[in-house]
Amino acid sequence: MIEFKNLVKRFGTHTVLNGLNLSIQEGEIVFILGTSGTGKSVLLKNIVGLMTPDEGEIWIDGQEVARLSEEDYFLVRKKCGMVFQHPALFDSLNVFENVAFGLRRHFNLSEAEIIERVDKALKVVHLSGISQKMPAEISYGMQKRVSLARTVALEPKILLFDEPTTGLDPVTTTAVNNLILELSRQLRTTSLVVSHDMKCALEIADQIILLDKGKIIAQGTPDQIKLSKVPLAQEFLQEVMSL
Amino acid sequence: MIVFIAEAFAGLFIPPIRFKEFIQQLYFVANKSLVIISTCVCFAAVVTILEYSFHLKLVVQNDSMVPGFATLLILRELGAIITALLLCSRVGAGYASEVGSMQTTEQIDALRMLGIDPINYLVVPRLIACVVGGMILTIVANLTCILVAMLISQSYLGFTPTMFLSAMHRFVDFKDFFFAVVKGACFGAVIPLVACYYGFRCQPGAEGVGKATTNTVVTASIAIIVIDFILSYTFSYLY
Repeated sequence: MIEFKNLVKRFGTHTVLNGLNLSIQEGEIVFILGTSGTGKSVLLKNIVGLMTPDEGEIWIDGQEVARLSEEDYFLVRKKCGMVFQHPALFDSLNVFENVAFGLRRHFNLSEAEIIERVDKALKVVHLSGISQKMPAEISYGMQKRVSLARTVALEPKILLFDEPTTGLDPVTTTAVNNLILELSRQLRTTSLVVSHDMKCALEIADQIILLDKGKIIAQGTPDQIKLSKVPLAQEFLQEVMSL
Repeated sequence: MIVFIAEAFAGLFIPPIRFKEFIQQLYFVANKSLVIISTCVCFAAVVTILEYSFHLKLVVQNDSMVPGFATLLILRELGAIITALLLCSRVGAGYASEVGSMQTTEQIDALRMLGIDPINYLVVPRLIACVVGGMILTIVANLTCILVAMLISQSYLGFTPTMFLSAMHRFVDFKDFFFAVVKGACFGAVIPLVACYYGFRCQPGAEGVGKATTNTVVTASIAIIVIDFILSYTFSYLY
């Protein structure tokens, strides 16, 4: 469903993604782990055309998308929802308008339908009753959950999460992880999660990818990763054991 | 930069234009800059009158042409350039930091993900507001400057308002007013284009936003002065 073929991305002389090959099946939850600056977020942004690869191909549902124009990317982005590292809420809009923003743009819905879908999305992230608040009036954790609601409201086929639980309390972290699992299992949503959280990856991922210096150094199911001899995988696993 | 400017101007013809945002931006650009600009041009008017008087008395021992020369200078240069440079510091810096913060907090990426063209959404309403605001403020600045120049001429040099206006009538043409407004529009366009350009390329962190703001004020100020030269040179053939 999503396939990367020999993907290369450079920033000046610095190669961030170095000939990456990866295949992700429909409905899978794939966790991409690695130390900071190894190209995890860059990989997600390449999928949705927020960055363009220097070499290689990206295939989504049988369509090569790496070099589409901004207009043509509209349909690809309609299939994908992305939860950014920052909440990325629009400061001038309240919570309701933030969540409704994409619905108004992508779907021809009546106001009643929009209200219903916004309420449903906010309920999913346990944030009912704050729809009239401005982003500045709610906590960072709540902003991240509103951002998640904004993405979920669009019911995309592919969900891309860029460190969705960073900065969240343990209760909300579990809720977000459960939500990723729920969406994937019930709606057959494909989820790509960039994270540092090996514990969570071991719990809900179908496939774990370990990225280092722009290359995949370990790949497999949680059970296979647990047995991996790759030093970085060992370090991540030791972190989990120490908890 | 050229591609960015071309995309922004192309965006003017792509509906929908966000009218509510345009009004909000116009309020921010024009209304909120009015007091600052009016105050500054008042002092500029005083200096213009006193300097002209001093130098004309020194060279030709007669300052009867002060009202005419002063009005001409105000309309052809002072009103538009002071307005533009003040707008550049206030509005340009504000836009660069606002758009820069949006860039670093991934709001611009979020817009693109939701199928919105950030140039159309952010730059176009600001561009239109600054062009309209620049024209309005240039007119107000020129009128304020001339009014203060008239008052100073009366109190310090003894020119009555009638004498001042009659001298102004001899020296000034409608073209001077028109060209001043054209300058206001051009300078107004420069500010959001430069500010949004640097805002879109803002590097992460407070330092990145600071750099984007500094680059905006420096580049836009230089651009305004260069464009002023080009326009003044071009208009000199049309008087």
